[in-house]
Amino acid sequence: MPVIKRWGSIVLSICLCGLVFFSTGCASKPPSPYAQVQQETTQRGAPKAIAKTATQGSEFNKYFPKSANGYERVYAQEKKGFAEAKLNKDGKNVAMLSISDTKSLPSAAQKYASSTTDIAGFPALEIGTTQTGVLVGDRYQVKALSRDPSFTKTERQAWLEKFDLNGLSKLR
Amino acid sequence: MSKPIYELIDELPNGGVTVMALRSLDFVVPGEWNNLIGFNNTITAVTGESDTAMVQAIGERAVALFNDKSQGYQNALWLYQTVDSASGALGAAAMANKVGQDISFLGFLKNLTPKPEKAQSIDLSVKLVVELVAFCQINGIPGDSIGDFLAALGDYGGESLMRMAALVCFDGLVPLGPDFALKGLSALQTMQPKELEENATFKGVRSLIPGGDAAGQLSFITSSVDSVKGWMTDFVDSRGLTPESVVDNLTKFVEVSKDKLDYLGAFLDMTTNYYSHTGTQTLARRLIERAVAEL
Repeated sequence: MPVIKRWGSIVLSICLCGLVFFSTGCASKPPSPYAQVQQETTQRGAPKAIAKTATQGSEFNKYFPKSANGYERVYAQEKKGFAEAKLNKDGKNVAMLSISDTKSLPSAAQKYASSTTDIAGFPALEIGTTQTGVLVGDRYQVKALSRDPSFTKTERQAWLEKFDLNGLSKLR
Repeated sequence: MSKPIYELIDELPNGGVTVMALRSLDFVVPGEWNNLIGFNNTITAVTGESDTAMVQAIGERAVALFNDKSQGYQNALWLYQTVDSASGALGAAAMANKVGQDISFLGFLKNLTPKPEKAQSIDLSVKLVVELVAFCQINGIPGDSIGDFLAALGDYGGESLMRMAALVCFDGLVPLGPDFALKGLSALQTMQPKELEENATFKGVRSLIPGGDAAGQLSFITSSVDSVKGWMTDFVDSRGLTPESVVDNLTKFVEVSKDKLDYLGAFLDMTTNYYSHTGTQTLARRLIERAVAEL
């Protein structure tokens, strides 16, 4: 009898455990920190991520710096309002170079209002810990983004200077 | 619309047959793939940024880019998911009876039928073309530019290179043998458009394959495979890969038997979704790279 009783309590506790797991399993997960943007960008009539009037990425290619000093430039993305190239050294990706049209994302241009430095006469900013950006012609954002610690802020600025920033500033 | 992109990346598994089978290919592309999963985790790994507000801002821009249908990212995801589910569709019914049971090779054997060589050749070719089309949807190079694709193949790394390794090994070498590329190509060259139209893998993705009608699509697929044939053969030769070396390594990770190679291809086809798994990882990486650059 005690054995049966004990079995009974074991079965009962397993059931209770199951119930606890089950009910916590059913309790709703905390909402994702991305739930709001998901809703805003999928609802009917949601604003597009890319502005209709944004410049085609293919227009940007000619303003990129060429391969130099052991760095190889490999074009990686070319979309409306955006172009990006990898910068590889010894076959390893060490940085990314990009041009984007801030028509799609005006806040990207607005942040340069706080800039106190310049590159080739255009307002420049350090962003986060891996990015240096410059705003050209009040419209196009040019960035160098480190992908390896050996590619420092100094390299980022040097490579931004290699872009044809003046040419890009005249693109309409 | 399907699940939000951040959920898909958060829910990528860290185990199971797909992940184990891919891990077994580390000897093919050493250190290239570490199964990066989780949305925020991927943002930090790709960009090197770990500040919470910065990660959130990058993530929000990536979500917005994905949800803008005109940008092609949803097409790419659909292609990766569909080519996997369509090629494994034959086994789906057998899988349904196995839920909750051990998914082992021997347990599966009686439900497996090796695919005829022609069907397997179409699978290989269609998956290759899906890679080309998905690449162009994600990176934006016009949809029929085989030359740009080949240049980019040379620069493939990480999960993209692992996906190509799995394609060559699991859909080429193992089911078709060392001359899989030639076999695939000659199967296509002697094929009628009608045969292509009846193939389940092709049917799944044909709406996004360039070429217009089935005859045009067959010709697009044939010329694509012809262009990439050299790359695939070189991939195998330069690494000294054989069906045996692939299977030897696979047996260290997944319970399979070496003496039933023709069944092994069908088993992998049915139990893995490596295109969808690594394709989601590739898409995540490109979205995040663009998002951080645009902010």
